[in-house]
Amino acid sequence: MATLTDNDIPLSELLGDGGQPPIFPEPPNGGGGGDPDGHRPPPGNSRSAAVIGIFVMMCASTMTFSALVSAMIVRRGLNRTDWHHIPLPSILWWNTLILLVSSVALDTARRQLRKGNRTTFNRLWTAGAVMGTWFLIGQIIAWYQLEAGGFRLVGNLNSAFFYVLTWAHAAHVIGALGAVLYVEYRALQFKLGPSGRTWVDVSAIFWHFLDLLWLGLMALFVFWA
Amino acid sequence: MSVRIFSTDHRVIARQYFFLSLFAVLFGMLLSLLMRFHLVYPQTPVRVFEAIWPEKASGGVMTPELYLSLLTLHGTIMVFFVLTLAPLNAFGNLVLPEQLGATGMAFPRLNMMSFWTTVISFLLLIASFTCQDGGPLSGWTAYPPLSALGAIAGPGQGRGQTLWFFSIGVFCISATLTSINFIATVIEMRSPDMGLMQMPLPCWNWFVTSILSLLSFPVLLAAGLLILLDRLAGTSFFLPAGGGSPLLWQHLFWFFGHPEVYIAILPGMGIVSHVISVFTRKPVFGYKAMVFATIAIAFLGLLVWGHHMFISGLSPYSAIAFSVLTMVIGAPSAVKTFNWIATLWGARIELTTAMLFCLGFISIFVTGGLSGLFLGQPQIDAYFHDTYFVVAHFHMIMGIAALFGIFAATFYWFPLMFRRKLHEGLGKIHFYLTFVFAYATFVPMHFAGFAGNPRRYADFTTFDFLQPLLPLQKGITHSAFALAAVQILFLGNLIWSLRRGPVIEWTGDTGTWQR
Repeated sequence: MATLTDNDIPLSELLGDGGQPPIFPEPPNGGGGGDPDGHRPPPGNSRSAAVIGIFVMMCASTMTFSALVSAMIVRRGLNRTDWHHIPLPSILWWNTLILLVSSVALDTARRQLRKGNRTTFNRLWTAGAVMGTWFLIGQIIAWYQLEAGGFRLVGNLNSAFFYVLTWAHAAHVIGALGAVLYVEYRALQFKLGPSGRTWVDVSAIFWHFLDLLWLGLMALFVFWA
Repeated sequence: MSVRIFSTDHRVIARQYFFLSLFAVLFGMLLSLLMRFHLVYPQTPVRVFEAIWPEKASGGVMTPELYLSLLTLHGTIMVFFVLTLAPLNAFGNLVLPEQLGATGMAFPRLNMMSFWTTVISFLLLIASFTCQDGGPLSGWTAYPPLSALGAIAGPGQGRGQTLWFFSIGVFCISATLTSINFIATVIEMRSPDMGLMQMPLPCWNWFVTSILSLLSFPVLLAAGLLILLDRLAGTSFFLPAGGGSPLLWQHLFWFFGHPEVYIAILPGMGIVSHVISVFTRKPVFGYKAMVFATIAIAFLGLLVWGHHMFISGLSPYSAIAFSVLTMVIGAPSAVKTFNWIATLWGARIELTTAMLFCLGFISIFVTGGLSGLFLGQPQIDAYFHDTYFVVAHFHMIMGIAALFGIFAATFYWFPLMFRRKLHEGLGKIHFYLTFVFAYATFVPMHFAGFAGNPRRYADFTTFDFLQPLLPLQKGITHSAFALAAVQILFLGNLIWSLRRGPVIEWTGDTGTWQR
């Protein structure tokens, strides 16, 4: 029967329970990375990394929407005889306006926070969050109106693309609204420190991106659909 | 638990990806052996088959549906969970921060989330094959209209196929999160004195690969969303009966699918550049040319998806454009190959196992790339399309070549990952045998393709004109079994070295191993 030599490591020690250093060692700082000497902040807390990250994420979202929009344009070009025009519900224009105003509110709030006007920030940020929620409610109303008009997901490719694109946009808005509400919660708890301000900037940038995306989609619906 | 399982440390996450890919590659290889056995002994009853699949292998003989299901699982596992995960996610996570002089990845929590999202995707994939009405059998390309119809399209097109699409969708999210992290890490976490053009070549390759991932996986996610709506909500984006177009799927899928080839191979190129440089004791010849060649390959790789669709009714003018662009990719690829050879030229080469795998990588990359020149021409592709020539081509160029890159990385960076060294002697035997049997398996497949042997046929022996190919196919199968058997050496080496391999510390300052 084989016996353990100095070079043998029992399985338990693979996980670091023995006297020897473990093969799977514990990472420094509990796994969060960071410089043990304290010269640099731990990764992930860097403000510019967060801003770069959100821009890269916007590229990913742009690719998803580009794929959906190009599919719509290509399909429309293949055969126009079965491509039925859908009347856009007028509430979509109001939704567009609300989204744009919410973006202005969030951005003004962000600037006020930089100046140290926390009360104004809280008011404007809350207004932005409420308008963002209104936008989503308005989108739901638009979907109901379209469905009531006989334009459903099934049976008309044009309306199917409309639903998919607006759902995808709404999913993004829900995600962004989550971030906006998180900032709101932190602000009302008086816990909006420096890292919270990164959240403010990042969520405002993404909100503006959703504006642009929505304007592009509206142009598509008006001119191509 | 947060340190061991839900860790945010890049080294722990690298190990998690490594073991997930290792499990996936062993599973995928086992599936390929089952398929190869069935191909050449289609009517031979195997009791084990019946024990595992009492209905789909009744009497011990696989049904065509089961064969196609195994084929789908093999392709999906290998492309997504091996060739995408191991070179980029595992070794990128391990080495990228070290080579950049960073303390970790830019977003450690996102990194952890990416890994566990990948695990969910893997579990969904495995679950899709356990469905009562049969596992998905549309191949890794899942072409509609059949894949968009649902259970009505036949066995294997029901819940299994739906779960398959969910699995791929979740994988797309995970890959996108990973690419966001890698790109932000390269841009933001570099050592202050390291400019982009001072980055080590592996970092460049992981960076460019991440950009490719970022641009291609969201497109597959969009396509997956549309096809799931076709299956579950009754839309007809890809169904001609409802006004949709199956070609639309092919465009969207291959816009992802072709860059995926480079997502698999570019990290290997970076690893090879680095390891060759170390074991020739020379800087890589033509650093800038290597960087620009990497960017050119990735850029062109985004523009050539149409060469997968030459026989799908593509306009001849489009086909010419796609063909020319495909040929142009040969130029930056040749730049890389010549630069590797120039680095080797006149050097005192140390033939370690990692170095041997790099040399093997170059050899197989050139061999696999040459057959790509044939497939890139519409006239020749019309004959070769969907034959074993294509199977041979992509297994060489993105399968074996990429795996050789992974092996090189494993042997070279094993001490960084586990603080121990793999056994060199065993590693060299493993390399030589793998090299011989890889060629013995995949070169003859080209001849099967020349003879017109179609791929994805569960039993080609039922066709008279293919009967003479049976001895050739048997040879391929025997070689494939030998190739798989050789990997036991690697597994043994891995297990032995984890416990008894010599302890070795990496000196991060010099960027080399203290031996």
